Amino acid sequence: MHNFKKGLRMILILCISGGILFALDFALYPCTFMRNDIHTVSTTQFDDIYMGTSHGKMDISPSEAQKVNGRTGHNVCVGGEYAVDTYYIARLMLEKGCKPSRIIYEVSPGYFTMEKEEGNNYLLFYHEFPLSRAKLDYFRDTLLKCNFRTMLFPWYEYPISYELSHLKENVRKKWSRDYDTEDLKSDTQIYHEDGFIERYPVDSASFTMDGLSEFHPEDVCETNMIYLEKLIDLCRENEITFVAVTTPLPRATLEHFADGYQAADEYFSAFFEEQGVPYVNFNNQKYFKTFTHKIENYTDFDGHMNGETAKAFSRLLAEVLERVCKS
Amino acid sequence: MSLVSNAFLLFVIAAVILYYVVPGKLQWIVLLIFSYLYYLSGNAKYLFFILFSTCVTYGFGLVIDRMNEAGMEQKKIKRMLVIGLICNLGMLGIVKYTGFFIDNLNALFHLEWKGFEVLFPLGISFYTFQSSGYLLDVYWKKTRAEKNPFRYALFVAFFPQLLQGPIGKWERLGTQLSIPHPFAMENISRGVQRMIWGYAKKMIIADWAGVFADAIWGDLDRFNGIALFGLVFYGIQLYADFSGAMDVVIGIGNLFGITMDENFRRPYLATSMADFWKRWHITLGEWMMNYVFYPVSLSKWMMRFSKWSKARFGRKTGRVVPIALADLIVFFLVGIWHGASWKYVAYGLMNGGIIAFSELMAGKYRSMRKALHIKGTETWYHIFAIVRTFILVNLRWFFDRSENLSQGFYMIRQAFTHFNPSQLFMISAGSGGTAFVPWALLIIFVGCVIMVTVGCFQEKGHEIRKELSRLPFPVTAAIYVLLLIAIGVFGSTAAPRGFIYAQF
Repeated sequence: MHNFKKGLRMILILCISGGILFALDFALYPCTFMRNDIHTVSTTQFDDIYMGTSHGKMDISPSEAQKVNGRTGHNVCVGGEYAVDTYYIARLMLEKGCKPSRIIYEVSPGYFTMEKEEGNNYLLFYHEFPLSRAKLDYFRDTLLKCNFRTMLFPWYEYPISYELSHLKENVRKKWSRDYDTEDLKSDTQIYHEDGFIERYPVDSASFTMDGLSEFHPEDVCETNMIYLEKLIDLCRENEITFVAVTTPLPRATLEHFADGYQAADEYFSAFFEEQGVPYVNFNNQKYFKTFTHKIENYTDFDGHMNGETAKAFSRLLAEVLERVCKS
Repeated sequence: MSLVSNAFLLFVIAAVILYYVVPGKLQWIVLLIFSYLYYLSGNAKYLFFILFSTCVTYGFGLVIDRMNEAGMEQKKIKRMLVIGLICNLGMLGIVKYTGFFIDNLNALFHLEWKGFEVLFPLGISFYTFQSSGYLLDVYWKKTRAEKNPFRYALFVAFFPQLLQGPIGKWERLGTQLSIPHPFAMENISRGVQRMIWGYAKKMIIADWAGVFADAIWGDLDRFNGIALFGLVFYGIQLYADFSGAMDVVIGIGNLFGITMDENFRRPYLATSMADFWKRWHITLGEWMMNYVFYPVSLSKWMMRFSKWSKARFGRKTGRVVPIALADLIVFFLVGIWHGASWKYVAYGLMNGGIIAFSELMAGKYRSMRKALHIKGTETWYHIFAIVRTFILVNLRWFFDRSENLSQGFYMIRQAFTHFNPSQLFMISAGSGGTAFVPWALLIIFVGCVIMVTVGCFQEKGHEIRKELSRLPFPVTAAIYVLLLIAIGVFGSTAAPRGFIYAQF
């Protein structure tokens, strides 16, 4: 009887603790643009889904592409999106009945040589997943090995001052299920409803090559390639056309890391050929001249375009994709 | 599987549920299965080593026990013990020290021996010591050999303590693991409370201190003006990290109704180096004391040395010299137990040297105190002794934290020749350097104040958890829930750090 009473008390504590943790998550975890992206692609039917990294996010505007090919689309690319994340986002879309007819996967070779850091990099996506089998499998494959704060306090990596300053707005947005994107802008960029982030032009004189590194095929992490293969297989099983794309980079960067980009092109061309999927690399000989590589059109040496350039590129991409997919 | 991972927490929850669902007499089997699953989750390749250690010590333990029972000649029994120990500790030696040995031979004789790549199995330093201790206890008839090989295997592989200790003794841990433990809410709440406290120490204090320690030790030229801070941060990190891990491990033991040996007793409140080693990594200290210090001190050659030193240095000093020598041997072993590197040899000998010197000078100190009319019981003297020991203890971390011996000396030089505290604010803290440095420093400071305050209360005989449990239930619960939430709010936002002692 004594144990029973204590057991009840323990259950009560667990319930209260769970309630507090849920409330803290609700109030403190910020409403990121990924919240909009995941919500949109898992509730709306699109013809094209653009997936990949920050290059895809800032270089591809689905609305501009639609003007050319008439296909609806959404951009779920983001900095820190590895093949594992892309794979599970695709699984979530399919599970929720939102099957696109084509997935355009933006390939940033550098990402394939890095192990994904645990923590917030997973939570950015995982946190926004609605309850689903994909979410459970994503947890098993990624967050299970992360520290327990990712499960109990997903907001832990954000500075508390930032969380508190956004608290009221967070609660309002989450409470009213508001996915309005109006406030997702800053002095340097603006987020559009189609998932595209438009960067404002920057003076190229301030650019540096700091932080950029050369691609070496021997550094490629097996896990990244495994999930890329799984993504391609998933598309194949569900009769979704898969196209891989590497967006244009500034000429200066290509010249500085000429060997690395050459090696990356060879590596991924061979890989996608083996997989039987088309690969469009705007930095190789075949496509180099189709788009500008002048540094003035970019916002850094890493190759993130400014808004106008990105829109122009998106229109070109739409044309190229139509050609590639028809052939 | 790290102690802080989601996987580990879910693993523990599953183990606890199954442990109390099965009949009491089968509980140990649940623990054995989970322990081996835990070990396999690290790397299946390591399985051979733990099985080897288990089989060797189990087998030799049984043989020695039977020989003891049969009243066989002591010399023969001793021979069996030596073979058993050579097999068990020899495995540790080969795995841990082959590379070091070959590197030094190469350097000494200008050779180019390649050696061979050896695996470094998880927890090997802990379980080989634990199983060797068991073998010696059987030899000394302190305990009877366990007949059931699976029960013994659980003693060697019990998963909470496998990677970082505490190094258990059969008579205390082994016997507890074998008996049924009925479900008691008391155990669960005690265990959970202890785990939360440990996690808070690790994730708030150790991991934040680690951000600063790693930054400073990682770029000595840039941060040469704060080498001393680097030392203090490392001292904080190491204590909060290791003792936090022990709190988690002991807490998990509590969940199963098992009381494990304490490994820490407020070490930074020690009044001498000898006292420090009775408070820091207590189970390793006890192991060294029981299985190295006493056997060495009471050995025939030491007796002969004792006679010689009394004749050479006089009765008083001559009596202390052998003890000092035994101390040096013990701490040399403590040093190399930590790793195969000269910096650990220096670290161990520094410890042994200070303790041996203190032993030798004890008489002189007593005379000095008498001359200065210091009884040794005064509060100010007590505080002085704590501060003195704290400084000495921290000086040793120069070698412990450094990559190698020369970096240790370099850091010492920087610490005492350069001082520029403003460099502290140049450190990039938190996730991608987004944390506000003064905020992180404040968290470390407040965390240390809480840790020291709790330590002082415990030192005065207060049992904090017992006293907290006397408070109205909602208050006790609120304290622990707040502590848990504090881990989320104040925990380090930098890339997660593993436990330091898990690498040994």
